[in-house]
Amino acid sequence: MSMLPLYMKDAFGYQTGLAVATAIGFGFGFVLERSGFGRAPILAAQFYFADMRVFKVMFSAIVTAMLGVTFLAGIGVLDLSAMQIPETFLWAQIVGGFILGVGFILSGYCPGTSVVAAASGNIDGAVTVVGAILGSVAFGFFPSSWREFAEAGNMGASRLTDVLHAPQAVLALGVTLMAVGAFMGGEWVERWSAARGQRSAPLSAPETRTMVFLGFALAAFMGLSTMMLPTSKGAPAPRAPQTVTPEALAAMLIKDPSALYLVDLRDAGSYQLSHLPGAQSIEGLDVASLSSTRTLVVYGGEIPASLQRFGGATMTLEGGFEGFKLKILDLPRLAPDATPQQINEYRRQGAYHEYFTGAAAAPPPAAATPRKTVAPPQRKGSGC
Amino acid sequence: MDTQEKPFWNPYLAGVALGLVLLATYLVMGFGLGASGAMIRFGTWVGWMAAPQAMENHPFFCSYVGEGKKVLEDWLVFEVVGVFLGGVVAAYSAGRLRPAVQQGARPVGVTVRLSLALVGGFLMGIGARYGHGCTSGQALTGGALLSTGSWAFMMSVFAGGYLVAPLLRRVWR
Repeated sequence: MSMLPLYMKDAFGYQTGLAVATAIGFGFGFVLERSGFGRAPILAAQFYFADMRVFKVMFSAIVTAMLGVTFLAGIGVLDLSAMQIPETFLWAQIVGGFILGVGFILSGYCPGTSVVAAASGNIDGAVTVVGAILGSVAFGFFPSSWREFAEAGNMGASRLTDVLHAPQAVLALGVTLMAVGAFMGGEWVERWSAARGQRSAPLSAPETRTMVFLGFALAAFMGLSTMMLPTSKGAPAPRAPQTVTPEALAAMLIKDPSALYLVDLRDAGSYQLSHLPGAQSIEGLDVASLSSTRTLVVYGGEIPASLQRFGGATMTLEGGFEGFKLKILDLPRLAPDATPQQINEYRRQGAYHEYFTGAAAAPPPAAATPRKTVAPPQRKGSGC
Repeated sequence: MDTQEKPFWNPYLAGVALGLVLLATYLVMGFGLGASGAMIRFGTWVGWMAAPQAMENHPFFCSYVGEGKKVLEDWLVFEVVGVFLGGVVAAYSAGRLRPAVQQGARPVGVTVRLSLALVGGFLMGIGARYGHGCTSGQALTGGALLSTGSWAFMMSVFAGGYLVAPLLRRVWR
């Protein structure tokens, strides 16, 4: 079982995580400043083809992190499934990106670099930060119909590996090759722009560049080679139905219910009587309308032929309806002579019971070490 | 850039360094970097200090403030504090820490420059809400994880910048 990511594997708690945040942020800010991104004219130069520095830094960073993830996930050191993948809201993000791009060329900064600019003493950076804070808050005061557009085009935690049906390592190699091509093209554009403007092109250090590109190529091929390992984590999830434990399903339901479909395979009568939270009945379900980017979890019977057509990952709930009810939904009971382990189990199931039914369980007598609970997702703008 | 200052890093090397910071974040936390997320929280906090009931009852802001919620006790807020500190130390150690108003090759008036900064920042605040992040959270973080929306966002940012750039040539070039 992989130990990474550390926080998701309970290596440390929330408060320590905050200290880690500042340390990581320090590194981020430092590198941004040394990249020259505390100064607007340097950032803006990207959009006049004069200096492709923004593109070079951004995509070198993306390729580096992407190849690191590919290789480490491929050898089983990093548990990709434990990572938080951003949710895609396609139309909202296309529009939002455009608006941000316009703001970028107007101010000369993006939100992160505006902080670095302010930190360097640049008043225009500080003003940009203020503007960005005001703009964010203004969004909150938009009518709800405007704000709702921010959820448009929800594809769940969609990744290009799903959309292009390509394995991680192959896609990573493709992105690396594209980036290197774009870097070379970018430098050509810089020279062209410099010639037109009768000034000198940004300094190009060919040896450093070659070294970096070779490093990328090496990392990309190392990533590819992990596909040949017997238990390759670089491959996409298999299509054959797997099982999921009640605890894992509960965690999925809490973390992001919109990433899965829960289907009750029992007869309509049983479904009406009682079904799992968020479950739909197989009776009258339009299988063709199900998005294959979401995971399908079923319980209460054999997967019928109609569901075999579903294009995404399918899982069967271990222990079925009764098992989930027993381990997650039911009010837990605590023996008077319970061990700390049993107290932790009681607290955990009490938290699930409360989350799904709204009713709190009684607190246990002894103060046991609290388990790390997964916070319910915050639905912005839906009222509290 | 005057001769007392340390030169900027090679962009490819800087990018690799940035990528390693991002990778470290993935490995340690299981998620990535951000910036705009801290800004909405800070703004909400200021609003909440001014009008706590109104903010707590508002359909959008109520998810940030209210019973049991600490709007500033958030990973991104602490991270952005770090970004600021890192920027100060990097600028100081490079001889670039001084008050200034950054301008293009042919400076426009300070009022014009700062007005553009304010309006530009304002648009980015809005864009980041629709984008569910900014260049740090979406383009970099989501981009390296090959998130579909992040790549779409990233391309849109460049499109927006390039399309409007000709109108602002006087400011920057």
